[in-house]
Amino acid sequence: MANLRHLLPYMARYRLSLLIGLCCAIIGATVSTLSPYVLRLAVDELSTGTILLSSLTRYGGLLLIIALADGLFKFFQRMLIIGTSYAVENDLRRALFARYMQLDQSFFSQNHTGDLMARATNDLSAIRQLLGPGINGSATALFTFSAAALLMLFVNVPLALIVLLLMPLTTLIFILVGNRMRRTFTKVQDQFGTLSTRVQENFSGIRTIKAYAQEEAELAVFAADNAHYRTLSMRYMVLSGALWPLMTLGLGIVAALVLLVGGRLVVAGQLTIGQLAQFNAYLVMLSFPMIMLGWVVSLVQQAAASMDRLLEVLTRKPAITNPEVAIPLPHPRGEITLEGVGVRYTSERSDDRLSPRPAWMLHDISFHVPAGSSLALVGATGAGKTTLVNLLARVRDPDAGRVLIDGIDVRQLDLANLRRAISYVPQETFLFSRSLRENVAFGVDQADHAAIAHATTVSCLANDLDQFPDGIEAMVGERGLTLSGGQKQRVAIARAVLRNPAILVLDDALSSVDTHTSAQILTQLHELLRGRTSIIIAQRAATVRDADQIIVLHDGQIAEHGTHNELLQLGGHYTAMCRRELLEAELTD
Amino acid sequence: MSRGSSQRFDDDVVMGKAYDGRLLRRMAPFVAPYGRRLGLAIALLIGAALSEIIPPLLVQRAIDGPIQSGELNGLWGIFALYAGALLTTFTLRYSHSYLINSIGQSVMMDLRIYLFRHIQQLSLSFHDRNPVGRLLTRITNDVDALNEFLTSGMLLILADLVTLIGIILVMFLLNWRLALISLAIMPILALIVTIYQRVMRATYRLIRQRLAMINAYLNEQISGVLVTQLFGREAPSQDYFANMSADYLQANMRSVLYFAIFMPTVQLMAAIATAALLWGGGVGVLGGWASLGMLIAFVQYTQRAFEPIRNLAERYTILQAAMASAERIVGVIDTQAEIRDPDEPVTLPTPVRGTIELRDVVFGYDPHEPVLKGITLTIPAGQAVAIVGATGAGKSSLVGLLARFYDPQEGVITLDGIDIRHLRQRDLRRHIASVPQDPICFSGTIATNIRLHSTEIGDAQMRKAAETVNAATFIERLPGGYGYEVRERGANLSLGQRQLLAFARALAFNPEVLLILDEATSSVDTATEALIQEALARMLRGRTSIVIAHRLSTIRHVDRIVVLDKGRVVEDGSHDELLARQGFYSRLYRLQFAAQQVEG
Ligand SMILES: Nc1ncnc2c1ncn2[C@@H]1O[C@H](COP(=O)(O)OP(=O)(O)OP(=O)(O)O)[C@@H](O)[C@H]1O
Ligand SMILES: Nc1ncnc2c1ncn2[C@@H]1O[C@H](COP(=O)(O)OP(=O)(O)OP(=O)(O)O)[C@@H](O)[C@H]1O
Ligand SMILES: [Mg+2]
Repeated sequence: MANLRHLLPYMARYRLSLLIGLCCAIIGATVSTLSPYVLRLAVDELSTGTILLSSLTRYGGLLLIIALADGLFKFFQRMLIIGTSYAVENDLRRALFARYMQLDQSFFSQNHTGDLMARATNDLSAIRQLLGPGINGSATALFTFSAAALLMLFVNVPLALIVLLLMPLTTLIFILVGNRMRRTFTKVQDQFGTLSTRVQENFSGIRTIKAYAQEEAELAVFAADNAHYRTLSMRYMVLSGALWPLMTLGLGIVAALVLLVGGRLVVAGQLTIGQLAQFNAYLVMLSFPMIMLGWVVSLVQQAAASMDRLLEVLTRKPAITNPEVAIPLPHPRGEITLEGVGVRYTSERSDDRLSPRPAWMLHDISFHVPAGSSLALVGATGAGKTTLVNLLARVRDPDAGRVLIDGIDVRQLDLANLRRAISYVPQETFLFSRSLRENVAFGVDQADHAAIAHATTVSCLANDLDQFPDGIEAMVGERGLTLSGGQKQRVAIARAVLRNPAILVLDDALSSVDTHTSAQILTQLHELLRGRTSIIIAQRAATVRDADQIIVLHDGQIAEHGTHNELLQLGGHYTAMCRRELLEAELTD
Repeated sequence: MSRGSSQRFDDDVVMGKAYDGRLLRRMAPFVAPYGRRLGLAIALLIGAALSEIIPPLLVQRAIDGPIQSGELNGLWGIFALYAGALLTTFTLRYSHSYLINSIGQSVMMDLRIYLFRHIQQLSLSFHDRNPVGRLLTRITNDVDALNEFLTSGMLLILADLVTLIGIILVMFLLNWRLALISLAIMPILALIVTIYQRVMRATYRLIRQRLAMINAYLNEQISGVLVTQLFGREAPSQDYFANMSADYLQANMRSVLYFAIFMPTVQLMAAIATAALLWGGGVGVLGGWASLGMLIAFVQYTQRAFEPIRNLAERYTILQAAMASAERIVGVIDTQAEIRDPDEPVTLPTPVRGTIELRDVVFGYDPHEPVLKGITLTIPAGQAVAIVGATGAGKSSLVGLLARFYDPQEGVITLDGIDIRHLRQRDLRRHIASVPQDPICFSGTIATNIRLHSTEIGDAQMRKAAETVNAATFIERLPGGYGYEVRERGANLSLGQRQLLAFARALAFNPEVLLILDEATSSVDTATEALIQEALARMLRGRTSIVIAHRLSTIRHVDRIVVLDKGRVVEDGSHDELLARQGFYSRLYRLQFAAQQVEG
């Protein structure tokens, strides 16, 4: 619960509103406790039969005035306190989003998208509930209770004690039952999360499910998850269903006792009927605040749990940050050096903690790419090519050695500058569900028509545009769903080209593009790449042979390094690779 | 960035009427199996509502009777009655709540499973149109909203009504003049509630709409965060998000304002009623047509009568949300799968041989924009065919038709002479395995990624498949081997590894006749690919196979090559025939091999 103090800085910005809101709560609560008092005066005068019509009118008027004043203060109280809660929620949401934008890939691979979404929605809303209705309600409850307590004690001590001692008991019921409830509720929610994830993954992979006619098997799993969810929910209902009736029962018993004891006091002449009526009115007035207080306790606990989840994100240090003294790189030349670079993926699973440190994924990698030259990376599936190029723009940092751009360790460079210098065409294309044009122009602040036209020409995307009714304004489906594999890749190429980078990284960027088109793209890229550094990862010899240097990765190390001709002389992996393609050519001739 | 996408969420934010009999009738079958329990729940609730009316009456009795007359013994009786009423209320309420919620849970479960089954069997064209997030909302939030309607919306309105009528009755029975006085304000209150509800309705819609936008944006941004980071677009994304969040805040503030006005106003109405009661009651007591106890009981009754009306605004919102959800759910349920099993399915003659024939097939995702423009093709059983062609030519679309993911607009596709539309989808797909262009991975172990949730595939078969595609090599090196936890979308595997997994999956399901490989190894290194091909060549003997590949080395073993261009077959024949033709294929071929041959 201590973690809730992290909310203080967010609330401090609105302290004036909160303070005034609380003052309104105090005044409002005090004023509202006066109306039972007025009722009592009226009833007492009535019971003794001494009342005049004019004083009845006066009491009625008083009640109205009290209600008006109370309403006015409640209005401001609500506006200020609840308003603040939304404002804080807004600030928190933005802070959370900003953090998401900064966090590194290892964070994202540990958390489901759905879970990260839930933090920005459900968890935030739990916290807002505490800050808004929670504070608002408990302020009203506490102040009303105190004011009413004073007035009651003033009237009759024994009766007041019954009310004041027993009423909080109902709050206690709430807290006790509530505690048990919450534990069950967490389980219910977790199971709900499982359910949602199941639905999400199933529908994302529907093509696969259908292709293998696995609908029934999936349904069976889903049904089992559902049954479990129902069982848990019912366990929760046993408790939660009892809660409200129990509270009503508790409050009712207090009321009955007041009637019993109060009635005897009246008969004994120690209490007037008006005072009994006053007590009755307080009981009604206090019952909601009592429930509210119990509710607040559970709000606090929920908010604390949610805050934990938020803090996990908010206090998580991004592994990749801008260095404190960042060296700017306004005019990158594009020289790349790797010195003794090593990478290993640590397993995030807790049960693997005992196992020894994972082996090096990449080990002792050193090479130099002069500005304006090209490097080709080849190697077996899973050899670590993608991991290696990801080091350049600091998608992650190496676990050993250094990566230098223009002779400066990338960890010292200004992150924005560094990433501006490099353009990636990633192996797996991610497109946003916006128009093609917006996707192509994604990486730049402003793009004029000519620049976009150039980028789509270089990437040969222009060839396909007339297939779409809206041309370049065509909307792209979720993750690029409505495009063919090659079209998606070429959008990504256009997107990278448009940025006009010093270093261009093509990670298997032509794998889904046919040979003809890819030859065309390569020729046009050749023009574009003059004077720029490029790194090309590919599985086809034709794509890599013209590179200034070629590196073959094998078992996490550089196995071969040189130009096409040099490597052919070596007769190693690279030669074998070329031979495989050649073989085909020779065989068929 | 445009906000053009907003209308796409309209579907999620429609606020329907508060009551729509048509929709309710559509939902009724889901509740029907629990009809008797529901009846019992309603009876319990009405009982509870009635027993709750008793206490103020007892207060009146106590004050006008024992207390004023000084007869203490009578007080015990009233106290006992009071306690009895409280216990009755408690029992009735608790059993109602448990019962109705157990019904609700059962209905929800039935509905979720029904929806899941239904959405799962809808055609891919439906899934292309509907983002996963939206479908998820149908199964989660929308079903929840209906549950709320069932457990607290509809029934509580009923209970409120019973309470209100009960109170009014009791009041009139006790003292009709006082009753009239305290009820005089009710119409005004009802008016206020109606106005408030109207105003809030628009605001709620706005809130929901903006929240939906925030969620959609958040989802996409989290999925694509790496792209945003690498392209340095964090700042614009943050600004955009801040704007959305501010819009949402503004909508919420509006609802706070309305509520802050509404609540005190209702309170004021209550005060007016009490004041009037005090005044009228006072006159009554003086005039002898009312008693003190009545006055006090009436004050309590008036306050209780206010509650249902005040609640109405909230209940109304629940109702509306439920109707909107019901509308969307019915919308999904009413969506017929475009690809359906025939009423009288034909069974394939056994043994299935695998002759495939396409006759004048015309197909477009949008019927007005054909992607395939008249394809006629016969693939004899056991033949290995390659489809090559420029990107976007329609290769993936073509093979998608074979598994009947989509139906062509014109033309027929037959398997062993039988129109595939006459077959049951299960039967058809059992004979086909296709490795798609984008490998799909699920979160779960490597093993479940290969065999999915099928119980028919044993460990041995699964491992065998992994070994055939050479995936076993990397799997065994992973910590945990086949038990290695794959993350969402296979984030902790390399793309080539994911392709191998998808490939292994296809083999594990052991298609009987047709194997379709849509660039199944485009990101796999050539050494592994060569190994796979050898294994495949053995496996595929006698089976029909269709291979799409851009790397011509991948299709070296095929019997026949079909060249597709802009949705038409432009060349068709063996490797040598096509080379001799000097057309598209020979150009392609030369492009790929000319360079190496010079040096070779
Ligand atoms: N789900 C879809 N909805 C709408 N249009 C689509 C969809 N899938 C593909 N298309 C369009 O259909 C055309 C053909 O796509 P298809 O995927 O069949 O091409 P392909 O020949 O496989 O290309 P590639 O070699 O690039 O994979 C493309 O113009 C593409 O934009
Ligand atoms: N987030 C991660 N966590 C743990 N292991 C990972 C992660 N990402 C990749 N790996 C592992 O690191 C290895 C190298 O992956 P990488 O993506 O760099 O290969 P690659 O050479 O690009 O392969 P491909 O040619 O298939 O694209 C693989 O064995 C993969 O399983
Ligand atoms: Mg394709």
